[in-house]
This record gives sequence, structure tokens and C-alpha cells, in this order.
Amino acid sequence: MSLRTTHSILSGPSLPLKSRLTPLAFQLQSRNRNGTTRTLASATPTPQPDPQPASPPLQSLTNAQKKYLESALRVNHAGELAATLIYTSQIPPIVKAHPHLRPLMKHMYDQEAGHFKTFNHLLAKHRIRPTAMYPIWYAASTLLGWGTGVMGREAAMACTEAVETEIGDHYNSQVKELLRWDDEAKARGETLGEDLQALIKDVRRIRDEELDHLDHAVGEDAKMARPYEVLNGVIRAGCRGAIWVTERV
Amino acid sequence: MSSTTALRTLLRTPASLRLLLLQTPRSTYHSYDHAEQPVYREAERTILSSALAHVPIHGFTQEALTLGAKDAGYLDISSNLFPKGTFDLVKYHLVSQRLGLKDRIQFPDENFGVGRKVRNLILERLRANVDTGIVTRWQEALAIMSLAENIPASLRELGALADEMWFLAGDTAVDASWYTKRASLSGIYAAAEIYQTTDQSTEYRDTEQFLDRRLEELRTVGGAVSGTLGWAGFQAGAMVNLLRSKGVMI
Repeated sequence: MSLRTTHSILSGPSLPLKSRLTPLAFQLQSRNRNGTTRTLASATPTPQPDPQPASPPLQSLTNAQKKYLESALRVNHAGELAATLIYTSQIPPIVKAHPHLRPLMKHMYDQEAGHFKTFNHLLAKHRIRPTAMYPIWYAASTLLGWGTGVMGREAAMACTEAVETEIGDHYNSQVKELLRWDDEAKARGETLGEDLQALIKDVRRIRDEELDHLDHAVGEDAKMARPYEVLNGVIRAGCRGAIWVTERV
Repeated sequence: MSSTTALRTLLRTPASLRLLLLQTPRSTYHSYDHAEQPVYREAERTILSSALAHVPIHGFTQEALTLGAKDAGYLDISSNLFPKGTFDLVKYHLVSQRLGLKDRIQFPDENFGVGRKVRNLILERLRANVDTGIVTRWQEALAIMSLAENIPASLRELGALADEMWFLAGDTAVDASWYTKRASLSGIYAAAEIYQTTDQSTEYRDTEQFLDRRLEELRTVGGAVSGTLGWAGFQAGAMVNLLRSKGVMI
């Protein structure tokens, strides 16, 4: 049996099609032709055509798209965790030395806490695992915030500038990717679905707020930090490294 | 599996079914707008589910698989679809019971705590072993799962079950405790399942008590750990504030 099958498979297309089929394959093919391709009732592989003709059909997510969403949301969550911790540990030394910065720092912290809440909710909802580096990012970002806070106002602002530059880039590339999916789905006459539309809106809003923080930081003399190039370079490289790791674990 | 066996399996399988041998890794992003892909394809599902019906008599053996293929109207050779043989049968039970858990249990009472929900979910999943009648043969399955080549897949499935239970219990924590929660629940569930295979009591009452003791231990240890960490964090914060009040610029 196996020898004959192997032989007939290897002998390739020179033989007529029917002789290349084993009995089981033939039986299964005719089964499929009879339209008995049932699937689990709770899980259909292809999106069913929408009952109302008004709304376009949903685009089904490919495995690669799901993977992208999974790692992107995990990075966003870890990033916002780090951001809230950086501000938490920067605020006491900075506000003590420069009381006039209290409202600005509080404003930035509140926005970051809001972002963190958003991604906490999204991760739990879509059942995405948080990064395994959680305790390490926790310690590293607390240390970074406290260290730059002690170094003074300019250093703290340089830290904000560096972090927000990287994170702004990161969010920007996500918005671009999601909009590309949206365009492709529209070109096929489909829609991405409410969840993803809401995600595009959220990421856009968050990106704009992060870039706002960048402007505030530059306005508060971030460029006057003493070893500006060193601080900026080290923190940005650290952010990129952390993003790279978090995408994976 | 050696490469020659893998090649032989590939060549023996009919061309039209060869695609089914490819296992695509699944991502974890859970979408509500889009239907999930089924884990098993139709041919696999019918063969494996009818094979499971033969397990109480024939055990987790190649024979049960062959009989299942026959029952489902396929040729005996169709068990070639499952290169891991009996482990695929074990895994089908694990996967189908994990996915079926959400339909087996409902929580009408909203003020059920997460802990009580998890306890009910574990008991319900253990009851599924009894209901399908495979509990008498489950030791064979545990032996198959503990073979070196099957350990990674078995552990992944155990982790997926723990994840499913925390999700169904409505737990939404996404911090470092995400990992410790899943690890401890996996350990407790695995222990309870092993206990269940040797349990002789009526309606598996001993297993229930065993489970309650394990959960109580977890509560005690977890409480002690979080209490200690909380105390250490408080002391550290107090120390920093004390130094700040003394004028140290930190």
C-alpha cells in the first residue's frame, strides 16, 4: 500500500489525475464535493455574510495580524506602565525643587495613568499576556524616573523628551499599520470591526497626548540638560531595547 | 519523531489530506468581532470524537483511534492523520473539554467571588472527566502526557486551561500576578486530577476535599507573601520620606 502510494505520488503529473488519488483521498474529496464541510457551530472559519445589506461584511483577521496586535498591545501596556512609574518617582524631587512645575507634572501623570488604564482594560479583554519582564521594567523605570528627578529639572525634562520621542514613533507606526489594514479592508468592501476602529481612535489620541508631553518637556529646557547627548542617547537606546524585548516576551 | 518516520507519515497520507498535518501556531489575541478559527478540522474532529467513545473499553490506544476512524466512516489508515497517535487522542479530550468549559458552567449569582468561581470551574472540569467516562483510563493518558516528547505540548495545554479558568472567573489583573496565578492554578489542577484517578469515594467527594485543602494552602501562602511584600514596600517608602524630611535631596 505505502509503496504503491509513494510511487504514484512521486511519478507526478504525467499520469492522469484520477490514478494519483488513493481510495481514502478520493472518498474524502467526494465528501467535500457533497458539501458536508460542517464546522463547530460556535466557531465558523469564514465570516458569515451580514444579514443586513447596509453594513459591509467583517474582515477576518489573519494570524499575522493577530500576532501584530498581540505584541503591539503588550508593548503599549508595558510602555504606559513605565511612563506612570517614571512620573511617580520624578514628581517628589522635582516638585520640591520647583514648586511651579506641580500642575504640569500632575497633568502629565494623570494622562499617563489614563493610558495605562486603557491598556489594562484592552489586555484583559483580548486575553493578551502582559510582558514577562513586568517586575524588571517596574524597577528600571522607577530608577530612571528617580535618577533623572534627582539630577534636576532639565535632566527630568530631557528624560521625558527622549522617552516620548521613542514612544511617539512607536505609536505612529502602529497607527500607520492599522490604517493600512483599514484601507485594505475598505478596498475589498469589508470593515475592520468596531473593536479595531476604536483601537485606531485610542492609539491616535494617546499618540497626540504623548507628543504634547514632548512639547512641554522641550518648553521646560530639556535641551539645557548638562550631558544632553548622553542622556538622550542612552534613554532612547534603552527604550528601543525595551520595546524589542517586550514585543517578544 | 525521527525524520524518516515523519517523511513516511507525510507520504502515506493522501495528498488531499496532507495540509491537515500542518500545525499552525495560534496567537492569543482574542477577537470579539471576528469568529475564532476552529482548532480541529472536520475530518479530525469526527474521527477523534468517535475514537474517544471507545476509550472506556479500549483505553488510550491506537485501537481506539482505528475504531473511531471506522465509526466515522473513514478508512483505518486515516489514523495516519495523527502522527502522534494516542497523544493526539489525549490532546483532543483536553482541548475539547477546555473549550467546552464555558458552556458547562454558568454563574447566575453576580456576587460570587473570583475564588469561588475558580473552585467551581476546577470541579466542573474534573466532572467532565467523569461524564465522558474516561476517568478510569486517565492514568494511561497521564503516562502518555509525561513522555518527554509530549511534555511541552501537555504543559502548554495545562497553561491554556488555567488561562481559560481565570478568564471565565472574570479575573482582569494584567500585572506580574498574571503569571503566578496561572502557575499556581496549573499546579493545583494537575494535583487534583492525579488524585481523582485514584479516588474511590462516592461522587469523588475525596477529590473535592483534596482540592479545598490545596486552595486553602494557596490562600495562606499567597496571603503571607503579599503581606510581607506590602510590609517591605511600606518600610522602604517610609525610609525615603524620612530622609527627605531630613533635607537629603532624594
